[in-house]
Amino acid sequence: MRALLLRRLITAIPTLLGVVILSFVLMRLAPGGPFDGERALDEETRAAMDAAYGLDLPLGEQILLYIGRIVRGDFGPSLVYRDFTVSELIAQGLPISLTIGGLALLLACALGIGGGLWAAVRAGRWQDEAIMGAATLLTALPVFVTGPLFVLIFALGLGWLPVSGWEAGSPSHLVLPVVALALPFAGAIAKLTRAGLARALNEDHVRTARARGLAERQVIARHALRPALVPVASYLGPAAAGLLTGAVIIETVFALPGLGRYFVQGALNRDYPLVLGVVTLYAGLIILFNLVADLIYGWLDPRMRAE
Amino acid sequence: MIVYTVEDLSVRIDGKTVVENVSFTVEASQCVALVGASGSGKSQSCLAPFGLSPGIPGGSARLGDTELIGAGRAILQRQRGRDVGFVFQHPLTALTPHLTIGTQLSEAWQQAGAEAPSREAMIVALERVGLDEPESRLDQFPHRLSGGQRQRALIAMAIAHNPKLLIADEPVSALDASLRNDIMALLDALRREDGLALLLVSHDLATIDRHADQIVMLRDGRVEESGPAALHLAAPTSEYGRELVAATPRLTDPPPTLPETGAPLFVAGDIHVSFPRPGWRKGRVQAVSGASLTVHEGEALALVGGSGSGKSTLARAIARLGPVDTGVVRWRGDPLPQRKRMSPLHRRLIQPVFQDPSASLDPQWRVSDIIAEPLRHLRPDLAERGRAGLIKQVLQEVDLPAEFADRFPRELSGGQAQRVAIARALVSEPEMLLLDEATSALDVLVAGRVLDLLEKLQHERDLALLFITHDLAVARRLCHRIAVMEAGEIIEEGPAQQVIAAPTHPVTQKLVVASRA
Repeated sequence: MRALLLRRLITAIPTLLGVVILSFVLMRLAPGGPFDGERALDEETRAAMDAAYGLDLPLGEQILLYIGRIVRGDFGPSLVYRDFTVSELIAQGLPISLTIGGLALLLACALGIGGGLWAAVRAGRWQDEAIMGAATLLTALPVFVTGPLFVLIFALGLGWLPVSGWEAGSPSHLVLPVVALALPFAGAIAKLTRAGLARALNEDHVRTARARGLAERQVIARHALRPALVPVASYLGPAAAGLLTGAVIIETVFALPGLGRYFVQGALNRDYPLVLGVVTLYAGLIILFNLVADLIYGWLDPRMRAE
Repeated sequence: MIVYTVEDLSVRIDGKTVVENVSFTVEASQCVALVGASGSGKSQSCLAPFGLSPGIPGGSARLGDTELIGAGRAILQRQRGRDVGFVFQHPLTALTPHLTIGTQLSEAWQQAGAEAPSREAMIVALERVGLDEPESRLDQFPHRLSGGQRQRALIAMAIAHNPKLLIADEPVSALDASLRNDIMALLDALRREDGLALLLVSHDLATIDRHADQIVMLRDGRVEESGPAALHLAAPTSEYGRELVAATPRLTDPPPTLPETGAPLFVAGDIHVSFPRPGWRKGRVQAVSGASLTVHEGEALALVGGSGSGKSTLARAIARLGPVDTGVVRWRGDPLPQRKRMSPLHRRLIQPVFQDPSASLDPQWRVSDIIAEPLRHLRPDLAERGRAGLIKQVLQEVDLPAEFADRFPRELSGGQAQRVAIARALVSEPEMLLLDEATSALDVLVAGRVLDLLEKLQHERDLALLFITHDLAVARRLCHRIAVMEAGEIIEEGPAQQVIAAPTHPVTQKLVVASRA
């Protein structure tokens, strides 16, 4: 267990380095730069600006300098939000994105696993068909459709919930974005749970448990559920990443001051340090989520635990 | 005292009747065996009354005073937890992978409403079924245990609530011969000591002959004959019974007539094979250490040993189908090249046939293409018509009709698929067949017929056979000599009759005792 953690941390370093270098180069390949505005700057000012931010140095040297700084935890200044460092912008936006994404992940798991279980137990009956039909529909509906739809119905129509905004994370402002973000993932998790459980219930060890005179509820809870959730666990790593990136759209729809907004604007403005900072952070989080998914694997099936 | 009575039992699956008119009783301390080819309905007869199979039972099945047929789910569930215990065929999959042995044993202990057992009580229970290191096993997950150990743990769980009846569905057929014997001896002891009634499902007549009191022979879901086991196995009253008995080779059969052997075909000297340890651990596992073998023209050599003894690894190393560290193989005096240097002409010499025929045939290919594949490299001179002719010829040789050439593997039964695999091996005109447990996944009757086929080929084609098996009686039927392997070494080798009549190594002695019916 400790060996697994250590090994993953060590392999995470080259992965992160690769991500940083690749996005650095890709950003620079895109035409335009941070100081290209409506009005072109004169040559002299422009050169001075480039020199001030080190953009006149050879690309390789810039990358090395940048890596040297992020190792010390310094993501540099934002080129567009002049009075802020990238770290300050992330500190503002990240808690909001994590709150929305984390709550959505929990909600998706609860709805998905619950619905999948309920359908699997009623396999072949109308309840099963209904749940699975709904799950397919949910996975097919993107958040930029469900988000505005929810706003129309629950905020503008019924007036139950606010239309948008953050308001220091008040619960009423969280409901619509979290639900809209969670639903497609809930659908996918429900399908995986349903299929996993249907398979697990036919396995030999479940027959052994039934032969022991256990009630079907106990058979599922103790013997079938954990093996059934293995595919769900392997989906959770990429899903958590999808929730983070999906948050970009949700934050725009519901006008939330999360990280996604900075990410999009940073890319459009060629705010190199901001984009790189957010990309590095996302990459780190995704590596972390996959590690957590691996730990969950080991709990679900001890055979998968690293030696 | 009668524990379990079955009268006029029928089982239907999807509207089709798979069991009909089956009646038998099981008394305390008695072992009743249900026998038959696969698909004869023996498992269904055992499991359907208890609601453990998709089949719908009819007729009557009484456990003590309780009628099971027509009982509701709740009653069946209670009955399963009270007076009956079950042991299933595949010990590798029958235990829940994410719960420790202790957790599962404790659950089984409490199934009839008993208090949670103490650690000491569970250790005693595991000791009773002969599980080594019971204390540490309690905290282990099932995958840490070998097949035999898992089967012992399963038996401990099946009898933890002191049932009156134990239903064992092929409890030993996934285990090797000496383990089989140990597990059956354990079941015998439980019958003697606890008065446990045993309903045994098996296709292994040798096991039944030794352990069962009563036998019920099933064919297509109907009772073909039933009565005292010893009597019916010695002198079956039905044609089917005679067929079943004849298909089971035994050590007491008259010695077979084997073809003459010629000059040495291959000599393998001092073969070593090792594999890297799994995971990040250092070092290697020695699978074969210093094994030497010789096979002559037309000779059949049996490579016998328990699971994990290295017999397949050695055979594959010799045929250059698997890795080898050191050691020389000479074929008619010339050294055989390393695995990656083998030319098609070298490959032709030794053709393999594996255990699971359905896994060794490509499901997307037609039988004719499967058989023709080796010809592409070996006989590039042959035109389409010539190939078709050869395919027809080998199909005939393995007793399959010519129209099988157009079939896909999924349209073949297990025995037919194994015949196709043999035909594919024969089409290259090999000098030796490497048969890796080629009959042990097959049903008794089917395996018997495949053995007949191999015997015929041995005589007609002058083929040498390297026959890997864990079954001494099967080895004796076809083979001139037997080599016994244990922990990667050949511990005994000699003429088949002699090894069986007077084994010198303790491991061989145990194997012979285990196989003697």
